Amino acid sequence: MGPFAIALGEMSRVFVTGLGVISSLGFGRDEYWRNVVDGRSGFSVIAGFDTHGFDRSVAGEVRGFNARDFLSAAEARRMGRCSAYALAAARMAVEHSLLSTEQLAGDRTSVVIGTTMGEANLLGELEYAWVRGGSDAVLTKKLPLCGSTLLPIHIARAVGARGMVQTLPAACAAGNYSIAYAADLIRLGRADIVICGAAELLQKTQFAGFVRLGAVAPERCQPFDKNRRGLIIGEGAGMLVLESEAHAVRRHANVLAEVGGAGLACDAYHITRPHPEGTGSWKAMHDAIARSGVTPADVDFVNAHGTGTHANDKIESLVIREVFGERRIPISSMKGTLGHCMGAASALEAVACVMTVQTGVYPPTVSYETPDPECDVNLVANQAQSGRSDIVLNNALAFGGYDAVVAFAKPGVLPDPTLVAQSLAAASGRVAPAAFGHSL
Amino acid sequence: MEPYAITGLGLVSALGVGYPAFEQGLANWPHGQNLFREQTTLLDPTKVSAPLVAECHDFDAKQYLGDKGLRNFDRLTKLLIVSGKLALEDADLKRDGVHRLTPDRIGLCSATAYGSLEAITEMVLVTELEDPRFLNPNRFPNTVINASAGYVSIWEDLRAPNVTVVDGNCGALDAVLSGETHLLNGRADAFLVGGGEALSDALYTAFRKLGVLADGGRTFAPGRAESQGMLLGEGAAYLCIEQLAFAQARGARVRAHIVGYGNAFEPPNSEAVLVHVSHLAVERTIRMALKDARLSPGDIDVVASAQSGIVAFDAAERAGIVAVFGDDSAIATPKAIFGETFGAGGALAMACAVAWLEGVPVAPLLQGECRRAPKHVLLLAVGYYGNASAVVLRGQG
Repeated sequence: MGPFAIALGEMSRVFVTGLGVISSLGFGRDEYWRNVVDGRSGFSVIAGFDTHGFDRSVAGEVRGFNARDFLSAAEARRMGRCSAYALAAARMAVEHSLLSTEQLAGDRTSVVIGTTMGEANLLGELEYAWVRGGSDAVLTKKLPLCGSTLLPIHIARAVGARGMVQTLPAACAAGNYSIAYAADLIRLGRADIVICGAAELLQKTQFAGFVRLGAVAPERCQPFDKNRRGLIIGEGAGMLVLESEAHAVRRHANVLAEVGGAGLACDAYHITRPHPEGTGSWKAMHDAIARSGVTPADVDFVNAHGTGTHANDKIESLVIREVFGERRIPISSMKGTLGHCMGAASALEAVACVMTVQTGVYPPTVSYETPDPECDVNLVANQAQSGRSDIVLNNALAFGGYDAVVAFAKPGVLPDPTLVAQSLAAASGRVAPAAFGHSL
Repeated sequence: MEPYAITGLGLVSALGVGYPAFEQGLANWPHGQNLFREQTTLLDPTKVSAPLVAECHDFDAKQYLGDKGLRNFDRLTKLLIVSGKLALEDADLKRDGVHRLTPDRIGLCSATAYGSLEAITEMVLVTELEDPRFLNPNRFPNTVINASAGYVSIWEDLRAPNVTVVDGNCGALDAVLSGETHLLNGRADAFLVGGGEALSDALYTAFRKLGVLADGGRTFAPGRAESQGMLLGEGAAYLCIEQLAFAQARGARVRAHIVGYGNAFEPPNSEAVLVHVSHLAVERTIRMALKDARLSPGDIDVVASAQSGIVAFDAAERAGIVAVFGDDSAIATPKAIFGETFGAGGALAMACAVAWLEGVPVAPLLQGECRRAPKHVLLLAVGYYGNASAVVLRGQG
């Protein structure tokens, strides 16, 4: 046994017991899922800022969100819109979980939230005031509202959590990073309950940057299509309540799904482009499966990153083929309906994965017209499909080469995580460095 | 927690670049130069008049990284890449640019509180005052908070997980737990943990607007009642951590051990309040870290506090310390040297603690006495929104 095994004790199963959503496809899991399955578009002409000069004007913008529908007056005053999305979705997830105030209160409840830019619109506003009018034009009272670390703080305050509060900015993989870390905290016994997920706000600087990168499509996003022209930016928040098995069982919780293994890796290749051979993505997918204690043959569906950019979809297709071999596993990308919600993307997609596990429905990849030989995958094209959904994977492949893949499964399907960890540790060999110089 | 070995340190600080220079600067600090100066190359005098900052004046990224490929890097990215490179070399995980482990077994967890405000300012300037079509697409990625850490992994070819933590002042200590968690889960054999923060016009302007800076002749005295505010600094530091058995098996030099971690959050009493500090969170995080380290308060030789010069925050932190250790414990204040460096703060403090554990006299001491080469140091970080974190380091002695 290596040090990996020496350090490990009993590991808890991790269950999903609540879901919350703020998105361009609706508020709450039911409306959101219905629209995802129907393949409806969340795209519209941007109302939040002036797009003059950008040559692009469409996004998956959240419409009709009134913070006061979800937040108290005091809460609404002390937070920006990104935090409001996060808290609104977190409240829904907590409500869905049926956790009581007493059960949530205390230091065994933590909050771990992902984002790419946090309250960047507030920051942009202040920066704009500063560059236009100097220091005097900056509104002092707004300065403390900008911290990206505030997203989990607001949620912790609202639910009475006193454990770890942490923000994990991991670009477009932030949602999966958050879920993976939350699950780790529970498996290792460091928390009983973790509210996790991610939130992102559509904002002007980010939009301008993606347009200048040439990554934004004119009106629609066509993942894996030969004629795809890029992504459509979206926004929103997806939140999950994760619980330890013991905690969930003790309170007779309605378990929605089990969080399986997570694979995290870094391409270490380029800040915006994926590795041409998809090495990091492959490792992340491979590890998520191995850490779930299953094989690729056991996986039923992949909710792909599928941004609609030429590079991502080509490399992700390559990696999926390498991971699953001859088997043409059904895959789909939701970014044609929802847009690319950046940090929130994989959190919103994780909510969909849990719904897939529950319903056996694979969401469609819309706007798919022309097959691309470079994207030779078994796409759930244009219409939702039903199928086996014991184990599904959620892919997130982000800026900076951040690759994060999380598995979700029907409760009881996956082997005991303690046995899986022991098995992986045994396979990793002796203590000698050489034995640890390979991935699991 | 099981002890983790600290096998390398790499940093860029106002005291010096690289651990040997830092260690020497720290040893000489009580007799050395005050690091806070009005002369700064980083702040534009037309935007920020008469600043007082601890800048890394001796830092030139080209000396460490060469001339090529740096054009689109912002200050934060350069600070982090150089720190990462030096940490890997100090840990003997990289020699002459060649990895001693395979790249997919080395990860990174990096904290920053504000990311690259320099990059965001540049984007806002172009977008709002010029034309969005003139945005430099090569510099846009710098606006994304995790980009600087991503560049470290790209530059040094680190393919295990790359994690960015944004927990304000607590980030670098929280990065320790993140790195430890990934090591424990077998996702890497070595992790660089720490963080960085860069000075910028926007950062200085924001904190000056908040009225918390001790510039303009006001008194800067972290931990003391007469203090009239904090001063800002910059820097970056990474510690290379490994499971002890792994470090021993590869024959690594172990500088110190990480033996405990704690964190806590407490909300304010009023719904109207956002910025606040909680002595209860400080006390709880200390107790949690001690429990995690299987130590009692009497085992701690010195507390490396996060007191920065803001009286209300310093007083609450002190109350939390006193609640656990009593009135007369030895308390050091690293921020009296570096100023407030936010995401880098805990990392620079851990570098100080390693130096103390290796025999550098403990300074600056706010109160109490501490023997040469102490055995245990408890480090604190206190956030602006009610969160606090603690780490316990153990020396070799």
